[in-house]
Amino acid sequence: MSSGEAPQGEGKRESFEGTALPFMRVLYNTALRLTHEPQDASDLVQETFLRAYRTFANFQPGTNCKAWLFTILYSIFVNQYRRAKRQPRMASVEELEERFHDLAQAPGDTASDVTTVEGWGWRWSPEVERALRQLPEDFRSPLLLVDVEGLSYEEAASVLGCAVGTVGSRLFRGRKQLFAMLQEYARQDGYDTGSSMDR
Amino acid sequence: MTDATNHLGTTLQDFLDGRLAAARRSEVEAHLDACPQCRRQLEALRWIRDVALKQLPGEDVPPALAGRVAAALDAAFERSRPAASLRIGRRWPKWAAAGALLAAVALALLVVALPRANFADAVARDFTEYSGGRLALDVRSSDGAAVESLFASGGIGFPARVFDLGMMQYRLAGGRIHRLRDRPSALFAYRGPAGRDLVCQMYEGRLGDLPRPDEVRQHNGITFQVYRARGLTLVFWQEGAVVCVLASDAESEAVIQLAYAKAAKV
Repeated sequence: MSSGEAPQGEGKRESFEGTALPFMRVLYNTALRLTHEPQDASDLVQETFLRAYRTFANFQPGTNCKAWLFTILYSIFVNQYRRAKRQPRMASVEELEERFHDLAQAPGDTASDVTTVEGWGWRWSPEVERALRQLPEDFRSPLLLVDVEGLSYEEAASVLGCAVGTVGSRLFRGRKQLFAMLQEYARQDGYDTGSSMDR
Repeated sequence: MTDATNHLGTTLQDFLDGRLAAARRSEVEAHLDACPQCRRQLEALRWIRDVALKQLPGEDVPPALAGRVAAALDAAFERSRPAASLRIGRRWPKWAAAGALLAAVALALLVVALPRANFADAVARDFTEYSGGRLALDVRSSDGAAVESLFASGGIGFPARVFDLGMMQYRLAGGRIHRLRDRPSALFAYRGPAGRDLVCQMYEGRLGDLPRPDEVRQHNGITFQVYRARGLTLVFWQEGAVVCVLASDAESEAVIQLAYAKAAKV
């Protein structure tokens, strides 16, 4: 056999490994935030790569491979995992959003709530993770795709199979809810005064 | 309760995310000038987007998963092989299949696990991700003060000074509140001559935690640890409790000279 007659499968395999496998970590972390279970997350990622490999011919080189992989991952998640999982529920989404608006209702408040949580910077990361997992999935997914993974609204809409406007409105509500939850954590932990910055 | 009819609502987010036409944007800016409530909401949304969600701790991929994926791909690959094997008139030897499996596992582990095995590898990986357009900057600005402000507001936890490398023809591109392995890192990047990227990171740590370097140099009483791999040069040095590192695919000696020029003895 001449060197130019290499089976197509080998070229496909090599190309797939170079193009798709580097996204294993971001897929795993998103899967973990969706399923909450390392084993489920691993299964979801494995199935995503397998399905992506089988349909690799559909991937357009030069387009966003990460967005394409997320489309597959979410499709599997929705069909195989979400139905079987109990959804974490917030006490009241509306109440949280109300709280967010209340934050801006106190003119002259010298220690603003924004400053309170902002001042904690990176030390909030475990709390952000906890709050994110508590968010209803409809709001969590746009946050994960747009704010964490850097997809555009349009790419996120394609991944989630919804309108771009829906991504925008859910993102807006999700960001507000997340902020209100973090604010609540700050109060619970006694970080609601300026002196807490020294803790 | 917010009176949504008098405030910006979702328009605030469109403004934040740069999704407004210029004319509407000007209207929003005018509203913000006069409305502290909307300004506070904007800052809260910005903090969630640019700080809170940019610093989530990521889990490493379990080593077993990389192996499982490689094995699953191998099984799919093998299932697709018989027709091809018959067509070319030879069989795929079992030892070769086993070799392919091992190679795939090794490749997957190399791609996924090894780059995070130590700080030097993590810095090299970050450079590759940034250079490849896969690691976004939180703030894109050539203004060092603006990038330092990002680090201060993001709670990096230590003072991070952004270098002025204009004299060396490196222009600041912006900064990012990053995580280097498990630690907060101030990451800022430059574009230099011939389009070369230069990525600097600062994090709390010790040079002693790094693997054995390819070269150790002394300059002005400061120790520099140099690593070279795959066309990249990494130069680490210590400033008090902070480790600084420059990473670039520029000529190795030039990267070291940049480090010499900017390292401060603490």
